[in-house]
This record gives sequence, structure tokens and C-alpha cells, in this order.
Amino acid sequence: MKCSDVDRILPDLLDGGSVDESQDLEVQSHLRTCTECSDLVADLKLIAREARSLSECEEPPARVWVRIANELRAEGLIREHNTDLPRPVLVPATRRRWNPFWLAPVAAAILAAGSYLLIHHPAHHAVAQVAKSSISQAASQAAGQLPAQQPATQAIQPSAQELAKAHPFPAIPQAAAPAAAIQTPEATEEAELSPPVSDNQFLSEVSTRAPGERVVYTNELRAVNNEIRETKAYIARHPGDVDARQHLLEVYQQKVMLYQMALDRIQ
Amino acid sequence: MTDPKQRITELEAIERAKQGDEAAFETLYQLHKRRVYSLCLRMVSNPAQAEDLAQEAFLQLFRKIGTFRGESAFSTWLHRMTVNVVLMQLRKKNLPSVSLEETLEADDETPRKEFGADDVKLEGSVDRLQLQRAIDRLPPGYKMVFVLHDVEGFEHNEIAQIVGCSIGNSKSQLHKARLKLRDYLKFMRAEKAKTG
Repeated sequence: MKCSDVDRILPDLLDGGSVDESQDLEVQSHLRTCTECSDLVADLKLIAREARSLSECEEPPARVWVRIANELRAEGLIREHNTDLPRPVLVPATRRRWNPFWLAPVAAAILAAGSYLLIHHPAHHAVAQVAKSSISQAASQAAGQLPAQQPATQAIQPSAQELAKAHPFPAIPQAAAPAAAIQTPEATEEAELSPPVSDNQFLSEVSTRAPGERVVYTNELRAVNNEIRETKAYIARHPGDVDARQHLLEVYQQKVMLYQMALDRIQ
Repeated sequence: MTDPKQRITELEAIERAKQGDEAAFETLYQLHKRRVYSLCLRMVSNPAQAEDLAQEAFLQLFRKIGTFRGESAFSTWLHRMTVNVVLMQLRKKNLPSVSLEETLEADDETPRKEFGADDVKLEGSVDRLQLQRAIDRLPPGYKMVFVLHDVEGFEHNEIAQIVGCSIGNSKSQLHKARLKLRDYLKFMRAEKAKTG
């Protein structure tokens, strides 16, 4: 057997293709006497073997899944259990839902609305303080400042009479006790942006709106809560993922804006 | 090869994903993300681009998941989509040769004994970084078949289905890719020896 013969059947030889026994014996005999061919076969086997170590050795960053999920949601491919309603116009269904340029005027509106509430409705402020705990605490967790389970502490505890007198909403459950003791920068920022009412109160209030509006607000709240829940679950599995934490903060901001939009309409 | 337990999980996830179940989409993503991303990264050698390509491949998969009927393995279907996404990207960059036939004709100039006196075994002189660099230099058609076969472990019949060529063509491409890699690796070693 000549070197050119070995060259011809080498692809099959290396990958277990159709080389019959007599051919195989001839090749082995040739390789024993021809250094060049035996080196070639050894090199090609080495390359194939080393290449395998490159397989699946790269992990994509977490943001890839977050982007995919957001896009699937935007395209309506991820379906919620109880709704087939079209995506509301309130939150544009674009790949990047919250353009940072939105935030400046909206943040100004939120601060203005918050100031109005403080001046004209002190009880709203009490409600705001009581109701902010879940969002502030959870947002701080997202920023990595707090452990997963943070015992609530009481900073402001308005009386039940004050709440009932100044605000028409139903009583807030005890679980919503404020956790204002730890004022990390992120928690402080979230406190400033926190909505004045809890989810139940929000839904209770928008239930008095026109059916079209009610559906829109309800769906939006459900969507943002789902996104919060899923991103938190993701972070629980990948606690070091900074991008996912940032995304969670952004989703909380979306929720704040949703509350504010609804409250602006109500007042 | 997919183990039976993973296969059941994958089948369940596919059916649930067809109903719009987000957890099912994520299950499928987690099962295949490393392979898809690694394939993209090997082909474009740019992490940011590989992220975009992997994302696009999964999005195309999920958009079309309702049409998946199980005639082929899900992973083959996914990787076919990934290869198509990568090839489209390479064509956009106007790389000279992205069809296998063109690659075969245009690059079939590698002699077996390019390095004459340096033609000694590579044994012990191949590391992952060198191999990755050599793979990066391969023409797109060779690179695709090499990555699918030797890196990702697809068989030639699967590669033929994914890439759209004959089994014989796939084998020929692979062999030429390996020969070219051997030359690149020896060249790198010679260069390294010169610079010390």
C-alpha cells in the first residue's frame, strides 16, 4: 500500500467508515513502516480528540435568556393562564420596554405626585410608608444588599383609625409592615419610587374604572408581577447575576410607574 | 446523545411550550443553551455577536415550535436553525465562501507536506487556545463541518441534514478541515519557536 492509498481511505479510517478488514490490515502494516503516514494519522486523531474538549464549554450570560423571555412576552408567545387579551398600549411591546429617556420626566412626575400626596393627604403618606415594605425590601434584595429573608421592622405604624379616616381603601394586612430600618442607597431609591398602595388596593381602585381600563390595568399588573416573580426565581438560582438584578430593579420601576399612572387617573 | 430521562423532559417541555408555557421555554433553553452558544462562538469568535446569534436562534426556534412534529431530533432541528442563523450572519458580512461546495473548490490547495523538515508529530504541542485560534482561521464551510463533527459530536448523517450537503461531502470537508488545522498548528509552533 502506498501513501496515496492511505490518503484516500483516511477519512473512513479515522471515523470508523467503510474500510474492510483486508484494507485495514494493509493500512496498519503501512503505518508501521511509514513515519510520515503514522505521524499524520496520529496528528489528525489528536486534533479530533482535543476538539471535543471545546464542546459546550461556553456558558452564555444570563442576559441572553432574560432578553429571549422579554421578546417572547412582547410577541405574545408566552401566554398567561387566564387571558388572551391583546397587549395593552400602556407599556409599549418593544424589545427594550423602558427606554431610559422615559425615566427623567416620569421620575419628575412621580416626585411631584409624591409631594402632592405628602402635602394634601398625610394619611396617604402613612399608607405609602406602610405599603412600601414589600417593594423596598424586595428591590433591596435585587440590589444584593439584603439576604433573602429579612425580618420586618416597624418604622412607621399609623393607627388603624388614621388609615380608615383618611383613606377609603381597605385595611392593610399586617404582612405589609414597613421594613424601613435598613436604608441602603438602593432601598432609599426604591422607597422614593414606591407606589402609595398595595396590589390589592390598586386592583380594588381600578375595579371602579371603565371595563376597558380595568382590563388594561389588571393585565399590566399581572404581567409585571409575573416578571418580578420569574426574575426573582432566576436570581435565587443565579445570585451573582448582576444583569438580572438590574433587570429586576427596572421591573420594579415599571410597577411604580403603573401605580402612578393609575393613581394619576384616579385623582 | 440524549438520555431517555432528558428526552421525556424535553418532549414534555416541547408540548408545554407549544401552549405558551414560559417555564417550558426556559427548560428547552437550559437544555440546549451551551451547545447553541458554543457553536455560535466557535463560528464567529466574538462573544457579543455569539450572544445575539444564540438569542436569534432560540427566538426562531420558539416562534416555530408549533410546527415541530418530531420527525427529527429536536436538537438537530435547533442546530439546523442555529447554523442557518450563523450562515446568514456570515453572508451579511460578505465572507467569500459560505457554501460548502465553494469552500471545497476554493480552498483545496493544502498540500500534505507543507512544512517539510518540520513535519513531526503534534503530540504534546496542542492546547485549547492554539486549537481555537486555528479553528478561527478555517474557511466558514470547513469550520462549520469541523465544529459540528469534532467539537459538537454530530454524526455525518446529521451534519448532512443540518447543513444541506451529502454525507460524502461532509466527510471530505471534515478531512480537509483537519488537514488544514494540522498545518495551522504546525505553523503556530514554528512561529513560536522563532520568537522563543
